[in-house]
Formats: sequence, structure tokens, C-alpha cells
Amino acid sequence: MRTIAAFVLVVAFSIGTSAARADSHIDTSVKFINSLSNQAIETLTDASITTEQRRAEFRRLFRDGFAVNGIARFVAGRYWRKASDADRAEYLKLFEDVIVNTWADRFSQYSGQKFEVRGATDATPEKSAEDVALVESLFFTSPTSPVRLEWRVASKGDLFKIVDVKLEGISMATTQRDEFNSVVSKNGRSLEALIEELRRRRDG
Amino acid sequence: MLNSVFDIKVIRFAAAVTVMGALSACATPPPAGDQDARAAYEEANDPFEPANRLMFSANVMVDQLVLQPAAVTYRDLFPDVLKPPVENFITNLFQPLSFLHALLQGDMDRAEQAAARFFTALPTLLLADTFPDRKPVFEDGGQTLAVWGFEEGPYVMLPLLGPSSVRDTFGTIGDFFADPVRLIAGSEVTTGRSVGNAVVTRSKNLEHVRELQRTSLDYYAAVRSLYRQQRAAQIRNGISEPAHSAPTIGLDLDEPDTDGGKKETAATN
Repeated sequence: MRTIAAFVLVVAFSIGTSAARADSHIDTSVKFINSLSNQAIETLTDASITTEQRRAEFRRLFRDGFAVNGIARFVAGRYWRKASDADRAEYLKLFEDVIVNTWADRFSQYSGQKFEVRGATDATPEKSAEDVALVESLFFTSPTSPVRLEWRVASKGDLFKIVDVKLEGISMATTQRDEFNSVVSKNGRSLEALIEELRRRRDG
Repeated sequence: MLNSVFDIKVIRFAAAVTVMGALSACATPPPAGDQDARAAYEEANDPFEPANRLMFSANVMVDQLVLQPAAVTYRDLFPDVLKPPVENFITNLFQPLSFLHALLQGDMDRAEQAAARFFTALPTLLLADTFPDRKPVFEDGGQTLAVWGFEEGPYVMLPLLGPSSVRDTFGTIGDFFADPVRLIAGSEVTTGRSVGNAVVTRSKNLEHVRELQRTSLDYYAAVRSLYRQQRAAQIRNGISEPAHSAPTIGLDLDEPDTDGGKKETAATN
């Protein structure tokens, strides 16, 4: 919530001329990524917390920082359209659970590697109701060969959310979608097949 | 003599791959009426999928029996002080081929970088990284064909060599013959380089591959997607794609009010 309050302030201050306003989402996106990564390092890498606490904290940050439902819908691809409301809701929940279980535990292995935002550019598609910024960053897994991370941040008013992460040019959303598509096209071609698979993954 | 025997082996191998590709069972395209299935089939662009999956399983087995143990041995038992020179040597040995391809792509800047890296490292017997602040140049036949406008074509899983596409397979075959290192030093050197590179690369992604195997719902499809995206990034030389080509993911499902609604539905299920 503190982050959101900070954005509101930043956005409120930057409402000036229309030109300044057009670019303000880029600066705010950079602040947003910085703030989110600081929070993640602060809370998730604490060696003294339990796995359950880490997962709960990760879920909170994930919901706060990422367009979880939008990503889930994109990843489900064409099968989202035909799915029932109940299936969609079940799928969204499972998608979040599986991501949380997969990613939260990795933060326990973090040991002080440097994370550095290098800059940002506007990537707003034509005729889009939302602004999109690409925030470039480096993650120093080793001092000499950092990994290039690119955050796609969509914003609308004071709402800022990450919609995709690219690791050395490889999009997490696209990879996940291609994989899900393959699973679904082999199993009955509906969202239910994916739900089944995700449930197995979460519980097993 | 040894050289020509090896050449013949490679040609035979390439011929075998081609024949196998032609004979292999193709995936049956879904009926034209089923639009979703048809679109998914075309998007996957993998008409040889059944044969590719079979080859993939064989490659995974070889990886587990040979490459992975070799990579673990290299990581854990090879002296750490000797790793940088070995890795520099392999990287430097790729620079002549990269130089050639940067030229063919009309990229003088990268051609110069590749040549500079190679020649400044020569006095150190190619063991030094003479430009530690700059990433080495890696260009190959597949990337050059892409720059020249050739489409990637269907996905192909090559025996031992792993993921490829029709375009990249042609690139790989061309590279075998055009590589200046092979022409000057012989194919034993390029073969050694390929094997060394495979072990070193594998040693650096042991954890990542294990994670991917553990977490993916369809490992084969995940690798296919990663391969294509990685190649696309290499062809662009790491420069970001133009904004319009990226997937559009909207915020409409994640605005505070809709989000709350969704969570409520999710909770009741």
C-alpha cells in the first residue's frame, strides 16, 4: 500500500504540461521497479522466515506489482475466450498459486547480488488506453557477466503493474503461453485441461 | 586423410538427418473447420513434432548420461583458476566465424570487434579475454540467413546438436564448411571446440535446466519456445524488439475493482 501511496504522490506532482505528463509514466515506472525490487530483497531474502511466510509475502508483492490476471489471461491464449466464468476463476487462482510456489522459494538462495536499473523507454502501443514503459535493468549474478532483465510496466492513472519480464530477450509470458498452448492442444483443447495440469502441479 | 574421413562422416550424418526428416511421421494437421486447433498448430510451426519429440527424448537421455556428468565434473573438479583461460580460448576460437558472418551481414562494427578480440588474444595463445568490458561477438550461419531475409521454417530437433529450425540447420551445415578455424587448423579443432563449448555452457546452466525440467508442464514445448526466442534475440543482437511487436497484456483484469470481484468469485469456487 505504501508503494501505491508513493505513486499517487509522484503522479500528482508530475501532472503539469501535457508533454511532461506524457513522459512521467516512464519515470514513475522506474521508481516502481526500484521500489518493488527493494521490497523483494528486503522481505523475501530474509533467511529467518519460514517457507510459508516467504510464499505469503511473495504472493502479496506479486499481486501488488504484477498484472497477475492479465498475464494469466494472455498465457491461456485463445482458450480463455471459450471458457466458463467458473473455469476462468479457478484457472486464475491456480495460475497464481503455481507461480507463487515456483518463484517464492528461489529468493531464499539470494546472496546479495546487485540489481541495477539502467534506464527506461516508452513502449506504448498505438491507440492504447494504457501507457507502457520498458524498464531495463541488470542483475549481477556474477560481477563480470550480468543478466539483462527488461520489465514491461503498464500504467493507467496511478495504477502501475508489470505485465511481462524479459530475461536476456526471452519473454516469460510468451514462454509460458507457448507451453500452455502445447499442453492444451494435446488434451481436449479447453481450459479445463490446463486447470487439471496446474492442479496436479500445485498439489503434487 | 583424417580430415577427409571426418568430412565424409559429416556428409553422411547430414544426409541421414535429411532422409530421416523426410521419412519421419508428420503431425496430422487438425481439420480446417477447427479454427482454434488450426491456429495453435500453425503457431507451433512444428509439423515434425512426433519425430522431434522422439529425438528430444533421445537427446535428453544422452544429456543425462554424458553431457550432464561431464558438465558437473567440469564445474566441481576442474580447477577454478583454469576455467577462465579455457573459456576464453573457446570464445576466441569462435571469433573468426563470427567475423565472417558479421561481414556477410554487413555489420562492420561487429566484424571489427570479432577481429580485434581474436588478434589481440593471439599473443596469449587465445587464452586471454582482451576485452573484458565487452561481450564477445557470436554470429553464425542461421543468423546471417535470417538477416538476408530467410524465414526460420519449421522447428527441427537435431540428433545430439539439439533444437534448431530448417534455416538454422542449413546455417549449421554451412558453418561446418565455411569456418575459417576448420580450414586453417582442421576439423579436430572445431570438433574439440564444439565439445568443449557444450560442456562449459551446460556447466553454467545446470541449475536452470533442472528448474525448467522440474517446473514446466511440457518441457519439450518450453524448450521450443525458449530456443525460438533466444534465436530471435541473437538475430537482433540483443536490441529490444520494437514496442508494437510485443504481446499486449492489458490492465483491465487487474484494476482494483475488477480484481476484487475476481478474487471473490475465485474464493467461492
